[in-house]
Amino acid sequence: MNIINLKIKKRIKRLNNYYSKTTVKKIFTIVFIAQIFFFFLSQEASADNLIKANKTVEQMLVEAKQHATNTVNLDPNKRTKKIRLLIEKYININFMARATTGAFWRKATSAQKDKYEIVLLNQIINTIEVHLNTLSTLSYKTISTELRGKKLVYVRGLIEDPKKLKPSVNILWKLAANKQKSFLILDLEIENVSLVSSHKAETISILRKNKGNFNALINQLDKPK
Amino acid sequence: MKKFNSIFIILITSILLLSGCTNNINRTSETSDPFEKFNRKIFAFNKNIDEYVVKPISKKYVSTLPATARESINQHLYWMNLPQTIINSAFQLEIENTILASAKFMLNGLTLGFYDLDDKQTTINKKDFGSTLAKYNVPEGPFLMIPFLGPKNTRDFSGYILDKQNIANISSSKVDDIILLEVPINIVTVREKLSGTLESVYNSSDPYIKMRSFYIQNRRATVYNNEYNKFKDKEKDQAFEQLLQ
Repeated sequence: MNIINLKIKKRIKRLNNYYSKTTVKKIFTIVFIAQIFFFFLSQEASADNLIKANKTVEQMLVEAKQHATNTVNLDPNKRTKKIRLLIEKYININFMARATTGAFWRKATSAQKDKYEIVLLNQIINTIEVHLNTLSTLSYKTISTELRGKKLVYVRGLIEDPKKLKPSVNILWKLAANKQKSFLILDLEIENVSLVSSHKAETISILRKNKGNFNALINQLDKPK
Repeated sequence: MKKFNSIFIILITSILLLSGCTNNINRTSETSDPFEKFNRKIFAFNKNIDEYVVKPISKKYVSTLPATARESINQHLYWMNLPQTIINSAFQLEIENTILASAKFMLNGLTLGFYDLDDKQTTINKKDFGSTLAKYNVPEGPFLMIPFLGPKNTRDFSGYILDKQNIANISSSKVDDIILLEVPINIVTVREKLSGTLESVYNSSDPYIKMRSFYIQNRRATVYNNEYNKFKDKEKDQAFEQLLQ
């Protein structure tokens, strides 16, 4: 029994000597340290992304509120121009255009794509203009931020009436960083209703009725209501 | 009364069978709308009723009554609907929600629900028979546009009838009279709450599709459990990630 124990101890000693002599030990140590380093780096980067995404939403709402109060007496056309700038700064229109047309996007020509983006932007402007004055009387608070997958960031918030006369509204912003690493809004869910999904249902229905004719879609969306 | 009950049972059974005619779409994002043509006609009818009758009354209601009075009426209507939540939470074995809703119903009963003595501190998940049927995996069935009631899927419509039947069975004739009075008030208050949403629906290029999409998204998210919502979110995330590449 003692002889066997001695043999095992000798083998372990030999192995220890081998690892201490070779560079394997060094490589293992370097890889281990590098892993820890990259882990913390990625954690820091994702935390940084969460903060940036949240700041984007809050900054946009501050600017929208300022815009609502500062431009009340402005000419409607000038007001619209200012809103357009605000939207272009914070919303990823190209992404929304692709997301709302699904597989039909690939079949459209570049001129049709450009025109559809303009029409979509105008629709967003109209929607925001309708609700802007109401928005300026309400308050917003962030509830949580969450990293989803590689690029997406969810920012959940609550819109409240300071006088508590209106019920609170749950909001979910979906953001992703662009090539310049600034965060842009991809979708907005109000009480679980996604704007991209509902707009997609509408555009797909029009496109299917018109056998995928993109011009028909643009004309119908551009029609004055 | 017996004749009415038998008609009622036949109606519910046929609706549930109709909802079983479609595949269980709980796990897909597809919308089953085989009656689209007919639904569009009902939608146009409802829209006219809304524009020419309900909307003007709702506007008058908002301009005449002060906000605090409207809030009290909203509170009262919410309180009147709590028994429905209590019954359905119990059916769904959501004990916490049942207890909270019962406590709130009894507490606010002191003011007939016109004033919330709890000061909106307790959050109660609204439950109806449609959500109970969903809990027991009854498929949502085809999408329907009901005259005066608006969008509903087959399962929710049968749930709605059952809920109304429950309240009628447990209430006395005097309470029935109160409900008759409250129905128009309820319609007006709901119209007031949804005015912004309805405007955006009517201003869209295909209001019917927009209404259907709003209803289905909101209903699925509130009726199904967290597991389903997580699954749906994951599905959407993957689609977004693909588009971002």
